[in-house]
Amino acid sequence: MSEAFKKVVSKIDPSIGIVSGLVLLLVIAGFFVSDRFGTTQNLLNILENSVSLGLASMGQTLVILTGGIDLSIGGIISLTSCLTSGVINGNSSLMFPVIAGVLLLGIAIGALNGVLIVRLGVHPLIVTLGMSMVLQGVTLMYTLEPPGAMPLSWDLVAYGKLLGVPVAPLVMVLIFIAMWAFLKKARLGRYIFAVGGNAEAARLSGIRQNRVVVFVYTACGFFATLTGLYLVSRMGIGDPRIGGYYMLSSITPVVVGGTILAGGKGGVIGTLIGVYLIIVLRNLLNFMDITSFYQWIIEGVIIIVAVSFYVERKKV
Amino acid sequence: MSGTTINLERAETSRLAQAKPFFQKYGLYVFLVLLILIAVSTSPQFLAPRNIQNLLTEGAPLGMAALGQTFVILTAGLDLSVGSLMSSVAVIATSIAPDNVMILPIFLIAIAFGALVGFVNGWLVTKRKVSPFLATLATMIVLQGLRFAWTKGAPLSGHLPPGFRVLGTGTLLSIPVNLWALGFLILVFAIVLYRTTYGRKLYLVGGNPRAAFLSGIHADRVIIAAYMICAVLASIAGLFLVGYVGSVDNWVGKGYELDSIAAVMMGGASFKGGKGGIFGSLAGVLVLIVIYNLVLLLGFPIQTQLVVKGLVIILAASFYLTRGD
Repeated sequence: MSEAFKKVVSKIDPSIGIVSGLVLLLVIAGFFVSDRFGTTQNLLNILENSVSLGLASMGQTLVILTGGIDLSIGGIISLTSCLTSGVINGNSSLMFPVIAGVLLLGIAIGALNGVLIVRLGVHPLIVTLGMSMVLQGVTLMYTLEPPGAMPLSWDLVAYGKLLGVPVAPLVMVLIFIAMWAFLKKARLGRYIFAVGGNAEAARLSGIRQNRVVVFVYTACGFFATLTGLYLVSRMGIGDPRIGGYYMLSSITPVVVGGTILAGGKGGVIGTLIGVYLIIVLRNLLNFMDITSFYQWIIEGVIIIVAVSFYVERKKV
Repeated sequence: MSGTTINLERAETSRLAQAKPFFQKYGLYVFLVLLILIAVSTSPQFLAPRNIQNLLTEGAPLGMAALGQTFVILTAGLDLSVGSLMSSVAVIATSIAPDNVMILPIFLIAIAFGALVGFVNGWLVTKRKVSPFLATLATMIVLQGLRFAWTKGAPLSGHLPPGFRVLGTGTLLSIPVNLWALGFLILVFAIVLYRTTYGRKLYLVGGNPRAAFLSGIHADRVIIAAYMICAVLASIAGLFLVGYVGSVDNWVGKGYELDSIAAVMMGGASFKGGKGGIFGSLAGVLVLIVIYNLVLLLGFPIQTQLVVKGLVIILAASFYLTRGD
C-alpha cells in the first residue's frame, strides 16, 4: 500500500467507513435474498426512492452541523406540496410562477426559523416544533384532501430519463457533491462547522454566528421545498399529510452517517450513504416479506447501534 | 459528605442570586391568566362547571406525561418515547382480560413495562453515551414496531375492563377521577423533587454536572432514575388516556411526547438542564389545554388549534430567555 493511499484512507471519517461497510454488506446480502434484487429495475427503484429522503436530509445535515435541529421540514413539505398542486390545478401556464413562488415561500419559512432562533434565543427544537405545528395547521386549513392536479409535464422531474439514466437521483447526488465542496472550500461552509464545533471560539474569531445560523435554516427550508416539489412530481398531486414522515426520518440518515447532534462534526457524504443504507435496507426487507412493523424495530436498532459506535458527545 | 452539602448549598444560593425579573420568572403565569381572561370574555361557556370539568379531564394525561418529562429535561435530556410508550401501554391494557379484577394487575404490568423502557433509555444515554434525542427516538420507533407487530396494525375493538372508563372519565366529589390521580402524582413527585436528596442531586446533575461529579454524586444513577420516573409516569398517563378515549388504536398517545416537551419548556425549563420545575410544567399544560378548549368553544376548525398552539409555544418559551444565554 502506498503512502499516498494510506494518507487518503486515514483522512476518511471512520463513521463513513462503517456506514459504507454496512451498505456493502446489505447489497451482498441482497443478492442472496432474491434474484430480483440485482436487476436494473430494482436498482432504479432504490435510486428513485432515495431522492426525497436525500433532499430532506441534506438540509437537516446543514442545520445539525451547527448544533441545531429542524423539526419543521415535514410541515414545509406538506404545505409546499399542497400549494403547488392546489394552486396550479392542472393549468400549465401557472406552473412556473407558482413553483417560483413556492420556492420563495419555503426559503422565507426557513429564514424565519433562523431569525426566530437567533432573535428570541429560543432553542431550535422548540422554534421549529412550533413552526411545524403552524405549517401543518395552515396546510390542513387549506385542504384536507390531496388538492388540485399537476400538468403532465411536471412528471419529468421525477421520471425524466437521459439516455436511459433517471435524472432526479443523479441530480440529488450532484447536489450532495456540490454541498460537500461548499462545506470544504467555501468560507461560509467552514463557518458552519466552526459555529457547531465551538460557538465561543467562532465568536472570538469574528464569525457572525447569527448569519450562519439564519443561512442554514434558510437552506434547510429550500431543500425541504425541493423535497415537496419532487414528491408532487412523483405522485402527481400534493398531500397534506405527507410531510409528517420526514419530520423525524430526515434525522436518521444524518446521524447514522456520522454527523453528531451536538454539531461541528460530520458532513453531507455520510448523510448520502446513510440515505442509501436506509433505502437499501427497506428494499431488502420488502424482498424478505418483512412488514413495515418489523422494519421500524430494525430502524430503531440501527440508530442505536450506529450511534453508539461513534463518539456522540464531545462535551461533558 | 460535608463536601456534598456545601456544594449543594452553593448551587442553591447561586440559583437565588440569579433571581430573574418578575416577568421572566412569572411570565407564563401572567400569560395563562391573560389566556383565561380572553377565554372568559370571548366565550361565556368557558367558565361553565361542565366545561371546566371536561377541560381538566382531557388535560390530566398530558399533565402526568409533562410531570415525568420535567424530570428528564432537568438532566439536560428529553424523552421522545413518551407518546409511543403511552400507546403501547394502552395496547397492553386491551390485551388482558376485560375484567375489573384485572385493573390493578394492568397497572402493575404497565408500570413495570414503563420502568424497563425508562431504564433502557437511561442506560443508552449514560452508559452508551447516545444523545438523549437519538436514544429516545430509537426507543420510540422500536416500541412502535413492537406494538404494530403485536396488533398486526389493526385497531383494537377496545375490550377494556369497564372500570377504565370510570378512571378516565368519571368524577369523584364532582372532581374528575383522573384529576385526583394527577393531584396525587403531583404531590408524590413534588416531594421527590423538592424535599429529597434525590431531587437536589437531580438539579445539580442537570445544572452543574461538574460540581455534581466533584461532590461524588453518581450522575449516571440519577439520570437513569429520571428516565425511569418519566417512563413510569408516561405509562400511567397512557392508562388514563385509554380510559378517557375508551377505545384503542395504535396511535392513541401520538403527539404527547412533543406536547409534554413543549409544556415543560414553556414552564421555564432549559435543554441545558437544571432549570424549571413541576409547577411551571403544569402551567404549560394548562396553557395548551385552554388553547384547545378555546378553539373548540369559539367554533374554529380544529386545524386552527395547531396554528395557535405552534405560535403560543414559540411565544411562551421566549419569555424565559436572558440575552446572551
